[in-house]
This record gives sequence, structure tokens and C-alpha cells, in this order.
Amino acid sequence: MGHLVLAATVPDAVTFAIAAVITVTGALGVVLSRNPVHAALMLIMTLFGVAVLFVEEDAQFLAAVQVIVYAGAIVVLFLFVIMLLGVDRLESLAAEPMPAQRWVALGLGVLGLAEIVLLSRGKWPLGAHSVAGTVNGAGQQNVSVLGKALFTTYLLPFEITSALLVIAVIGAVVLARRPRTAGTAEIEDHAEAEDT
Amino acid sequence: MGDPLFAHGVGLAVLIIAIVKVVVVFAVLMVAVMLMIWMERKVISDMQNRIGPNRAGPFGLLQSLADGIKLFFKEDLLPDKADRVVFRLAPYLTLVPAFLIFTIVPIGGAVDIAHHAFDLQVADPPMGILFLLALSSVSVYGSMLAGWSSGSKYPLLGSVRASAQMISYEAAMGLAVAAVVLEDHTLSTRAIVAAQSASVLHWGVIQTGIVPFLIFWVAATAELNRPPFDLVEGEQELVGGFHTEYSSIRFALFYLAEFMNMITMSAIMVTLFFGGPDGPGFHFLPWVWPILWFVGKTFVFLYIYIWIRAALPRLRYDQLMDLGWKRLIPLALGWLLIIAAFRVDDVWGFAVFAGCLLAAAALGQSIRVGQRRRQIEAETTGEGRAARAAKQVQLRALAARSEEGGAR
Amino acid sequence: MGSLDSYLPIFLMIVLGIVFAALSFVASKLLAPYRPTAAKEAPYECGIVPTHEPTYRFPVRFYLVAMIFIIFDIEIIFLFPWAVVFGQLHTFGLVEILVFAAAVFVSFVYLISNGALDWGPMKRVQPIATDEVRTTSTTVRRVGPSSGEAA
Repeated sequence: MGHLVLAATVPDAVTFAIAAVITVTGALGVVLSRNPVHAALMLIMTLFGVAVLFVEEDAQFLAAVQVIVYAGAIVVLFLFVIMLLGVDRLESLAAEPMPAQRWVALGLGVLGLAEIVLLSRGKWPLGAHSVAGTVNGAGQQNVSVLGKALFTTYLLPFEITSALLVIAVIGAVVLARRPRTAGTAEIEDHAEAEDT
Repeated sequence: MGDPLFAHGVGLAVLIIAIVKVVVVFAVLMVAVMLMIWMERKVISDMQNRIGPNRAGPFGLLQSLADGIKLFFKEDLLPDKADRVVFRLAPYLTLVPAFLIFTIVPIGGAVDIAHHAFDLQVADPPMGILFLLALSSVSVYGSMLAGWSSGSKYPLLGSVRASAQMISYEAAMGLAVAAVVLEDHTLSTRAIVAAQSASVLHWGVIQTGIVPFLIFWVAATAELNRPPFDLVEGEQELVGGFHTEYSSIRFALFYLAEFMNMITMSAIMVTLFFGGPDGPGFHFLPWVWPILWFVGKTFVFLYIYIWIRAALPRLRYDQLMDLGWKRLIPLALGWLLIIAAFRVDDVWGFAVFAGCLLAAAALGQSIRVGQRRRQIEAETTGEGRAARAAKQVQLRALAARSEEGGAR
Repeated sequence: MGSLDSYLPIFLMIVLGIVFAALSFVASKLLAPYRPTAAKEAPYECGIVPTHEPTYRFPVRFYLVAMIFIIFDIEIIFLFPWAVVFGQLHTFGLVEILVFAAAVFVSFVYLISNGALDWGPMKRVQPIATDEVRTTSTTVRRVGPSSGEAA
């Protein structure tokens, strides 16, 4: 039972509470929505809540990344895939594709929660600023401090990211490419559906 | 750093000033949208030798207001195949980002009222211009979900087109903004404007060498779905695009957001590339002149948007995608690297320039290879064969019909 | 001096925008008539009674575009902190971003050379015009009392 870090001012605590509620509501919505598009929308809501939490922690750049990359690009991809496959109307939840997945998910979730509790060791920053310390410059300094850290100390991880991006592109192309051997009816159907 | 309004924490007076700022900007934006709609109709009709709206108010100035009021009295239909929640949510997702982007635009200098100094700018968040990118990526959802939730063919097609178009040009836009950040070393819009204020030669458009401005302009036009990039609402193909099923005030809000985005994007262009409120001032009422300069510069861009709409035909979808991905994005990236290299020294500059030329050649080759490969693929797999088969059937039918006609 | 303060006007603007939209809907509800019929609520098809369900499948290229957009978005987002601190990094910063950009560019070239971003209509290898079935009589239909059924 650690002691709460209650250095936060009242507006900070209120912002934290609102953002936390938004985040958790969104997360529950993702899990509980029947319609995949609604689930994706709820995911956007969660990402926004997290972005607000980042802003509160003075992690300005991360907040922007959260919205630009996650909400602005990755969920768009999710929605495209949902629309691409047409699962938004046809999906039936009665048949479980992976029988044990609920229990595995529950177990992993409990494990994750235990990990968070263990790592935080009772330090709960309920709206207090910048517990992370040195990497975060305050306010507008944040991005330049982060930039300096990223492009000097953490240069290697940054360059390795580019390799990851290359792998992602190649993976996408290989997955999306039609098989070379033509002639089966299935391919023809696929090609026709593609010309809508 | 930041708005001096918040230098001493948030008190009641600060809160009131913030509220007044927000309300004033909101009201000014609404009026500006009304005038903009009127101006667009009037200028277009002048260019087409028509008179345009001239009944409501002097010179038809109140036409947009009349239209707005009329839309309140129109029946608000909800298609029975629509996803009710998302259908109702989509206008909010379109309208709120439209209002929000304008908050980071510096309108004028700093003023001092009742011992509270504050900037003439609604907000100067530390993430600065990233806020623009974040919101423009969020505004994709408005059109995407509006189209999807309508449960109807044309809106769905329109929305998928719109979202693909918007994300395609967002990348080019981000690269153009990065060039400005590279020149001015800051994300804050106020600091970007301050860095350009020394003289006209310090304006972003000159400092970054025009190309990023042109890229930003084209990308912004495409983001706005303005002509010549308005395929999203290509009437011949898609009826009204993603908001076909929207009627009454819901439609009005989409329309409002569209015009507001146009004003905001013009203002952002002025901020990033044309010094924002920078311009010669005079001793008489010193705080008014920057605002006038800002409004004047924004007006020029708004006029050009209308002019472009009257002058240019719509692109085809593949041309749009080719322009975005194969021209603008590589060009923006290359230009960014070149100006970065020239900032180090001239040797690096010319080396990177040469490297970019090589890369452009490689890109051109890969475009050709790609087109050829896709052609072959289409011939060997279903696509081409299906098309040929369809053509054959059609021709045979025609031949049969003409024989029949000849026999009679 | 929390930077959260500078987001206050943005928060106010969000509230104002939502309130404005909500009030507009309420006003429209109060002022507008509401007499729905089946025809009004049917999907808009330019007056034709809809027969087909819309296709809920889209070309795989849209998916590719979204995928590639993520890649570029990540690259661009890395460029911003780099651009802010570039004045301090100089040659070092230039070289590291050149390496990064080169990697992304190579994947971009690979993508383009695979034709993944080609949207154009297919150019037919077999030219239709030389087809022997296509003659004047097949191409131009005579309209008049002698012609067959009405089109």
C-alpha cells in the first residue's frame, strides 16, 4: 500500500480524472462493442484519453505522436481493413475462432496488471507533473530535449526503426500481392471484386 | 514561451479573457464563413458572366444567412439503413476539428488590457504546429464515418475515396511543415511568425525556397477536397460524396466545416510561409495593423481558392494518387534534405542535391517498372482477361443485333 | 506554470464547438417538420429503387495506401524533433537523417516498382480497334423503323 503522490493541483487532478475515465470507457467499449467500426471508434477515444494524459505529464511530443500516428494513421488502417473485408456487417460472434482465447486473454491481462502494480511500487502519479524527470523538458522545451536524446544517445534505436519500416513495407506488399500463378476461378473473382 | 496570459497561473480574470478570446474567434469565424460563401458565389458568378445572389440584403450579402436559417426548417432525415449513433456523431467529428485548427493561428501581436498581457492568438500550445497535423489527421474520421454510417452506396464510395485522398496528402503536408520547422527551429506558431518578422526576405516562403509552400498549398487544397481535388463529391460519379444522405442542419454543419477549413488553411499558410501578421505598422493604433495584414494575406489565398475553382477541371483519381505519392512526397522529402544540407555547408548541399537527382532518376525508373509490371499482371491474371471477355461478349451481341437489323 | 494551462482555450473551443452543434440539432428538431416515409428514408439512388446491397469490399490498394501512410507518418514524426534540434546537430544530424531517409526511400522505390500505388485504368495489350468483329455495322447502330428493339 504505497502512498499516493498527491502533489497535483486541483485542475490537474480533475483533468487526470476525466482523461482516465475517457481512456477506460474507450477501452471497455473496444472490448464490448459488437460492431467492429464502433470498437475502432472507441479505440480512438482511448487514444485521445492517453494523449491528454501525456499532455498532462508534459510529454507534448508523445501526445502529438499519439494522435497523429495512432489515431490518425493506425486506426484509419484498421477501419480500412474492416471495410476492405466487409466484416462490419457479416461478422458473427457466435463461433469462436480460437477456443481458448478468452481465458488466455484474462490470464495475460491479470499478469499485465500485476506487472504494472509491481513496477509502479505504489507510486501513483494521479495528475502530478513529469514524474519521468530528465527526458521531459517542460513545455516547449520538451521536443528539443527529446530530439537531442533521440538523435545522440538513442541514435542506434532510431536507425533500426528505419529497418523496421522497410520490413513493414515489404510485408505489406507481399501480403497484398496477388499470386503469380493465374487461372483459378478464385483469382478471377478476386480481380473482379477489386474493380468496384 | 507560450502565451503571457498564463504566466501567473489561471485566475478568474485569465479565465474570462480566455473565454472572451474563444467566443470572439468563434463568432468571427462564423461571420467569415458566411461572407466566404457569399464571396465564392459572387466571384464565381462574375467569372461565369452571371449576377449571382443579389436578393437578400445589399449585394446579396445576407444570402448565406438566409440559407442557414432555411436549413433549420428543413426535415432532418435519418436513412433507415444508417448506423444511428455514428451517423449523428460524424458532424461533430467534422466540425470540432475545423474550429480547433484556427486556435493556433497568431492573428496579431500582444496586447495589454487591465494589466493582463496576452497574445492575439487563441492558444499557443507547446506542441505548436504538430497540433495542426494531429487535427488534420483526426478530421479524416468525419468524412470516413459519415459515409460509412449512411448505409448507402455513393456515400460509402465517396468516403473511402476521401479518406484515402486525405491521408495521401497529409504526408506531403507534414513534410512541407517540417521544412518550415527546420528553418525556424521551433514548433510554436507564434515563434515561427516571430522568426519571419525581420523582413520580407525572412518569410518562410523565401527561406524554404518556395517549393515547400507550393507542396503545402497543393496538399492543403487536396485535404480540403477543394477543386481541382474535389473528386470526393464528383457529382457525375458519386452524387454528393460522403454527405449525400445528410440533410437539413446536419448537412449545413458539414458545409460550414468545409468553408471554415478553407479559411483556416489559408490562415495557416499565411502563418507558416508569409509571416503571419507581419507587415509595416504605423503609430496610429499599433495593434490594429498586424491584424489587418493578417486578414489581407488570408483574403488573397481565399480569393485564389475561388479562382482555382472557376478555372481548373477536376483530376482523375489515379492522377490524384500519382501526384500525391509519386511526385509531391518524394519532392518534399528531397527538398527538405537539400535545405538541411545547405545549412551545414555548400559542399554537403550540392552533394545531397546530386544524390536527390539520382534518387529522382531511380524513382522515375521504378515508376515505369511498376506500371509495366501491373500491366503484365493484369493481362496474366483475371483483371485483363475478364475485361477482354466482357468486351467480346459485348461485340458479339452488337454484331448479332446488327445482323438481325439487316435481315429485317 | 503547468503547460496544461495553455490548453485551456483549446478545451473551451472544443466545448463551444460541441455546444454549438448540439444546439443546432435541438433547434432543428424544434423547428423542422418530421414526417418520414419509406421513400425518404431509403438510400439515395437518384430516384431508382435500390435493388443491390452496397459492396462492402474495397480494393486492396486502399489498404496498401493506409499501410504506406503509416510508414511515412512515422518518418515525418521523427523529422520534427530532428528539425527542431538540427541547428545543434549539424553534419552529424544530416548524416543520420540521410541514412534514415535512404532506408525509407528504398522501401518506397520497392513499393512503387511493384505497382502497388498504380491506380490507373489498365492499358489493354490487345488493341480493340483491330478486332475483326468491329466494323461500321457493329459500331454504328442505325436508328429508325428498320432497327430492332428500342435501346
